[in-house]
Amino acid sequence: MLRQPLCRALALSSPARAVPLASRSYSNPVPAEPEKVEVFINDKPVYVAPGTTVLQAAAQVGVEIPRFCYHERLAVAGNCRMCLVEVERSPKPVAACAMPVMKGMRVKTDSDLTRKAREGVMEFLLVNHPLDCPICDQGGECDLQDQSMAFGSDRSRFTDVHFSGKRAVEDKDIGPLIKTIMTRCIHCTRCIRFASEVAGVDDFGTTGRGTDMQVGTYVEKMLLSELSGNVIDLCPVGALTSKPYSFAARPWETRRIDSVDVLDPLGSNIVVTTRTNEVLRILPRTNEEINEEWLSDKSRFACDGLKRQRLVTPMMTDSRGNLMPVDWEDAIVAAARALRDCPPNKLLAVAGDMADAESLVALKDLVNRLGSENTCTEQYFPLDGAGIDLRSSYLCNTKIANVEDADFVLLIGTNVRFEAPLLNARIRKAYVHKDTDVALIGPKVDLTYDYMHVGDSASVVKISPRGPEGSALLAYTQELACKLQDKLQDKEWKVLNVLQRTASQVAALDLGYQPGVGKALQDGPKVVYLLGADSGVVSRDQLPKDAFVIYQGHHGDAGAAMADVVLPGAAYTEKRATFVNAEGRAQQTLVAVAPPGMAREDWKIIRALSEVIGERLPYDNLDEVRDRLSEISPALVAYGDVQENNYFAQARALAQSLQKPVSGKLDVQLKHLEDFFMTDTISRASPTMAKCIQAVLKQKDSPY
Amino acid sequence: MAAKQAIQVGTKIVKPVLSTNHAEARLRVLSLYKAWYRQIPYIVKEFDIPKSENQCREKLKELFMTNKDVTDIRVIDLLVIKGQMELQESVNMWKQKGHIMAYFKPTEEPKPKGFLSKFFNSNE
Repeated sequence: MLRQPLCRALALSSPARAVPLASRSYSNPVPAEPEKVEVFINDKPVYVAPGTTVLQAAAQVGVEIPRFCYHERLAVAGNCRMCLVEVERSPKPVAACAMPVMKGMRVKTDSDLTRKAREGVMEFLLVNHPLDCPICDQGGECDLQDQSMAFGSDRSRFTDVHFSGKRAVEDKDIGPLIKTIMTRCIHCTRCIRFASEVAGVDDFGTTGRGTDMQVGTYVEKMLLSELSGNVIDLCPVGALTSKPYSFAARPWETRRIDSVDVLDPLGSNIVVTTRTNEVLRILPRTNEEINEEWLSDKSRFACDGLKRQRLVTPMMTDSRGNLMPVDWEDAIVAAARALRDCPPNKLLAVAGDMADAESLVALKDLVNRLGSENTCTEQYFPLDGAGIDLRSSYLCNTKIANVEDADFVLLIGTNVRFEAPLLNARIRKAYVHKDTDVALIGPKVDLTYDYMHVGDSASVVKISPRGPEGSALLAYTQELACKLQDKLQDKEWKVLNVLQRTASQVAALDLGYQPGVGKALQDGPKVVYLLGADSGVVSRDQLPKDAFVIYQGHHGDAGAAMADVVLPGAAYTEKRATFVNAEGRAQQTLVAVAPPGMAREDWKIIRALSEVIGERLPYDNLDEVRDRLSEISPALVAYGDVQENNYFAQARALAQSLQKPVSGKLDVQLKHLEDFFMTDTISRASPTMAKCIQAVLKQKDSPY
Repeated sequence: MAAKQAIQVGTKIVKPVLSTNHAEARLRVLSLYKAWYRQIPYIVKEFDIPKSENQCREKLKELFMTNKDVTDIRVIDLLVIKGQMELQESVNMWKQKGHIMAYFKPTEEPKPKGFLSKFFNSNE
């Protein structure tokens, strides 16, 4: 491995690389495992594969070698020299992160020579590193701080006798998310490698040599990436820190609560950092199956939207049509009266993009008890053929992590870069490291890697290898996937993947919600219950004049603006709730802060409402709601697991009659980076996201 | 070894606190009740509480009846001991008016029961 991935990444990004479809052979036979090499780490024998680095071999026996530039998910740079170790019969200490093991190698990670080397490196680093830890945002979680305590010398030889000062570097402006204090930079180049390898934005680089070396974007330029926030985590010192979080808190003052992100359909694992009942920041939590250790910028930085535009009290329209704050009793009674007096076929419930499974099941149970079957989600999905009856036809069946193993990826009508940024990072990883070929049917967008553009007409799906008439398109895609699957040697490999666009959709479809509101709206509903439905699919002018709208949600947005009764709910950081991600993996969020004002957990509101109506739902606490969920589908409460999906052939058979000729063009909503930042109520309320959009638009005007 | 321990545990005889059998414990409870009952007129007078003797007798009965389902002799004995201590404090005027009134919990609001009243009254 060594430096190879970087060189390869660079070579791949050259425009010369067309997609050599014909010359590719797929499913190469796996070469036999080479014989393992025995090495000794501190005289402890360990057997590792040849090509492993000393650092990795040491990690296998539990010896952690200090490092700054080395990172498991990035190419090896070997320039910080912190990982120097002594190797027997080697004249100099060697850099463990870049040195492949050799047979019988004896490594000493704690010898005098090693310790002296580390001390020397640390001294050199600190000579040009400012002593501003008290005002540095990285303080308390800084690798340099920790390692200088552990491995540094206990006295300094740095005496500034001529008062010439330390090296100082001008700060760069790389956008509204990342604050740069480049004087603190120790030139580990992690950010550069991340930007070019993972994010696919080759803007970062170094200029100058020696003391004059600078990391930056050459010209003043925003880091135009949807994954840019990750360089903050990667930076081992305080050179790159979070701008919205700057000077906000110290890590030891905060509480960290594990949770799950709901702003995109992948359900990335996150840590919510809180203090004094306030969400301060959101960090990624490592989950190899979903987000590795990355997080998209929207998920990371939209958390300040959780403090703005919140619904904190129940509201009702007064005689002049203005929403006025009222007590819970009044709001619930008004909503209950409307629901009870509504004819069953005129009742419509619409679930939005951040509804949790508990509130979804409570709402569906309530609506069903009132005699209506009209429970819908905002996002459309074709219902003909197998529709949502077979779970395999609406999930990412391959699973997110397995995308890396794909030989060929065909994207149909999606801009996966902005709809699911971390899935795109996986595809890019496959493209860089495994020479995966990617083709796209849909509008031409920047996916950060080269792909074959097959056109944007829906009919391509039918013609090419052997459809936006949704059901026909899905039918053809299923047909195509099944045909491809038949030819594969690996029968377990799932070809068909459907990427839902919101965090609530999969759970809603599992529970039996109808995707899309089109048909239900045509019937002229009298009472509409919006469960966080804010995307504008339901609007006042589509409803009859006398329609009564109940909105339950956490942000004052499109839904609350048109409502007659507003019931304030909890956002995803404020409740323990189940979300099912695009691959069908149930995960739960945990309570990080209390809901603001009089807001309540969502399923409780529906449960209270049901009792006032007189159709009491049979669950009083979260466990009982989850029992109900597991009655419907055990997969909804199997936290962390993904069920295998099957019945592709049956879905194809059911869809066969739908293979009508399709025409029209495939389009995606999120085409450019500026579209990415505001897609839901939380990110629309976030000032940071607004700044991002402004910055991106400004960057587009700049000559660079 | 383990078997021996198990037998030891099974046949372990607990040390009595005061009473050795139920009848004895019952006797202690009744005598404590009587002692309190006889003290009530003096309590009402000396502490000058805004309660009548009958109200106090009802409260006394209520407080005793809250533990009516206790069957463990040692627990009964300890409750009796605690009751005696309280009585002594009342007799000797170690308690003050507020301590006596605390038995009536005049300022305590009952906790909401049932889903709906919890929903409306508390912030959960």
